[in-house]
Amino acid sequence: MSNKTELKPTTEVASSHHNAEAVRSSGDTRSNTIRNIGLILRREYKNRVFQRSYIITTILFVVFALLGSCVPTVIQFFAARSNSQSHVTLVNNAGTVAGLNDEALTTYFSQRLNGNSNQSTASGQSNTKSHFVLNTSTVDQVKPLQKNITDGKLEVLLVLDRAAGNDVHFTYYTAAASLADTDLTQIQTVAGQLSVLDKSSHLGLTAAQTQHLLTPPDFKVVYTQPGKGGDSALTLAGGYFLGVIGTVLIFMSVYLYGMWVASGVADEKGSRVMEILVNAATPFQLLWGKIIGIGAAGLTQMLCLIVTGLVGLWLQKPLSMALNTNSSGFDFSYINTSTNLLILLLIYFILGFLLYSTLFAALGALVKRQDEVQNAVGPLTAVCMVGYMASFIGGSLGAGATWFKVMSFVPFWTPMMMLMRVATGSVSGLEIGVSIVILIVSILICSWISSRIYRMGILMYGQKPGLGQLVKILRQ
Amino acid sequence: MALVVDAINKSFGQFQAVKNLSMEVKEGSLFGLLGSNGAGKTTTMRMILDIFRPDSGHISWNGKDVREIPRRELGYLPEERGLYSKMVVEEQLLFLAQLNGLSKHDAKIELDEWLDRFQINANRKKKIEDLSKGNQQKVQFLATILHNPSILIMDEPFSGLDPVNAIVLKDAFLEMHRRGKTIIFSTHQLDQVEEMCEDIVIINKGEAIVKGSVRDVRRQHGRNVVRLKLENDSEVLWLDTLDGVQVTKRRQDYIEMQMRSDLNPNVIIAEALRHNGIINRFELAEPSLTDIFIETVGKIALPDAPATVS
Repeated sequence: MSNKTELKPTTEVASSHHNAEAVRSSGDTRSNTIRNIGLILRREYKNRVFQRSYIITTILFVVFALLGSCVPTVIQFFAARSNSQSHVTLVNNAGTVAGLNDEALTTYFSQRLNGNSNQSTASGQSNTKSHFVLNTSTVDQVKPLQKNITDGKLEVLLVLDRAAGNDVHFTYYTAAASLADTDLTQIQTVAGQLSVLDKSSHLGLTAAQTQHLLTPPDFKVVYTQPGKGGDSALTLAGGYFLGVIGTVLIFMSVYLYGMWVASGVADEKGSRVMEILVNAATPFQLLWGKIIGIGAAGLTQMLCLIVTGLVGLWLQKPLSMALNTNSSGFDFSYINTSTNLLILLLIYFILGFLLYSTLFAALGALVKRQDEVQNAVGPLTAVCMVGYMASFIGGSLGAGATWFKVMSFVPFWTPMMMLMRVATGSVSGLEIGVSIVILIVSILICSWISSRIYRMGILMYGQKPGLGQLVKILRQ
Repeated sequence: MALVVDAINKSFGQFQAVKNLSMEVKEGSLFGLLGSNGAGKTTTMRMILDIFRPDSGHISWNGKDVREIPRRELGYLPEERGLYSKMVVEEQLLFLAQLNGLSKHDAKIELDEWLDRFQINANRKKKIEDLSKGNQQKVQFLATILHNPSILIMDEPFSGLDPVNAIVLKDAFLEMHRRGKTIIFSTHQLDQVEEMCEDIVIINKGEAIVKGSVRDVRRQHGRNVVRLKLENDSEVLWLDTLDGVQVTKRRQDYIEMQMRSDLNPNVIIAEALRHNGIINRFELAEPSLTDIFIETVGKIALPDAPATVS
């Protein structure tokens, strides 16, 4: 009696309706899910944090954050230095101009130049640091003064002459290159006005009539959207600056940490540790242990960065005092804006990471070896990239175009684009809330899809599954 | 008290990896799962481990569905060895033992004992990638048994080992057997199976084609082989005239023949005496497992269809 005869012929071929569960599903009560996820995430976290590349990037991040937070103050510092006072020496060779004698003329120039200048935001500030400092001198001093100009001891020498034709001539001496000379236009404007006054006084108009002639029209601007009217160009630029930093941070971190997840999964699969792991823990536990562990490592890095950034911002006031930049016209409100943005940044980072990392994990599970990961995640990187680019373009437009608004609600782009919108303009709390809800729902959907692909992928060493096969996996 | 595999089937797409496979592994026994490459051994093991689920059929351990067995009862040594190459031996084994349900404290005790036994205590703080291949194998073996599972499933546990390490691992293997573990393993070294296993199954193209105890299998496949040497007759031509006897080899030291299984080998002795032969050697040889394997698998084996899942 051979045992062979005991075997029934294999007529009963596996029928398709038995295919329900190909790999053990996540609902495994035999192993303690929480405990296993804890063990896996602790391993992932430790493994990541002690890696040399991690330590180096963290240090770099911290240094950049510290330097980055100082950039506005440093710019201000240099701007203040280059914006130092211009000494203008007035030599009046023309006698009384527009009814003003030497002294009155100097006062007129001083008031017009410093009052009309671009520094109008500083109008509330004391006048002791006015940009233009006016002096008068006599005709015989012109030669030595010209030498002073050449030597750089004096910025501007303005000589007024009156020729026979009764019109005032202005001669402007400067050492500055014509393009870089911002003083010229201002002085020219004032000189033009003075010339008009002078001519009109010759035509017999009174000073008051001339003044009336020169009064600008009553021109009122009404901003229909609240909160925007006050935005000066500087604030908008500052918001864009912060938005760019936030977008870059989100893109970099989500992509970097997502790649960690993908290559981690591929590494486990390629080195075949997966075979023992999958015996000890369910795919669900492996997937989430990895995502949370790497996410925590990423969050640690982000927190280092953000804390350094905050400390850096907090140091700006003392720093600018120390540099004696005299923060006239400099707006420190961006520090408050930054704090709000940082909280949003953190929320969007976590949600963005969860959304992308589940997909990265699934893609990592589909490749055979680690070096194939880069190719596999290509499409996802491209999607991420679109949001990144759009965020820059949309942010530079400032006001918020419709396409920008619409795109900012697409979950794959929300973390970057919504952040940029918040940084550059006003976004209602409702919009932010809706975007977060959409993100969370997408995370749930994506993680469901991903865990199915992951479950099938981790033990598949054959040919890469086509799109059709993936759909089949999802349907099962 | 046994692991019972009852008519399981498993397909991957169009490819049927396991067809209607049944087998029974007694508790505490050493069970050999044999078959050529791609025969479905690994898939069968994964189904026993409940990593894959069979499309149909049923696997139970002591009457309990295999899906309900706590994971720590199962230890798995995959064919393709793999560990976290950058991780330190000690941390790695503690992690895996804990993942398999051991407390950290218990895991440490087990770890100390086994590292000593395997003489790799000096390597406990080294990274896996810095170990020799033999030591990596030992660590891999430890990863399988450290959590003290009752069922061990080992895919090619002795492949790629040098003779010294093979003995260390074989001792540990037999130690697990002494401790009453049920061990299912696959191998291509059939002499080891003859040496260690009680029961075997030979799988070909997903089907069990031979199964039973090693002794029974050999017996059933005897074609009784008789080796005979007569001192005064080197040719023994009269053998060819015997009904039911077929001479297979005429060598200098003996003549080998196959007998129909219903014949008593004593017939040969009687005939030899009748021909006044002086018997130097009379031996009833059972066919080796290698013979049986080649005979049964070789007969059926067709050029391998590419397997989609290894």
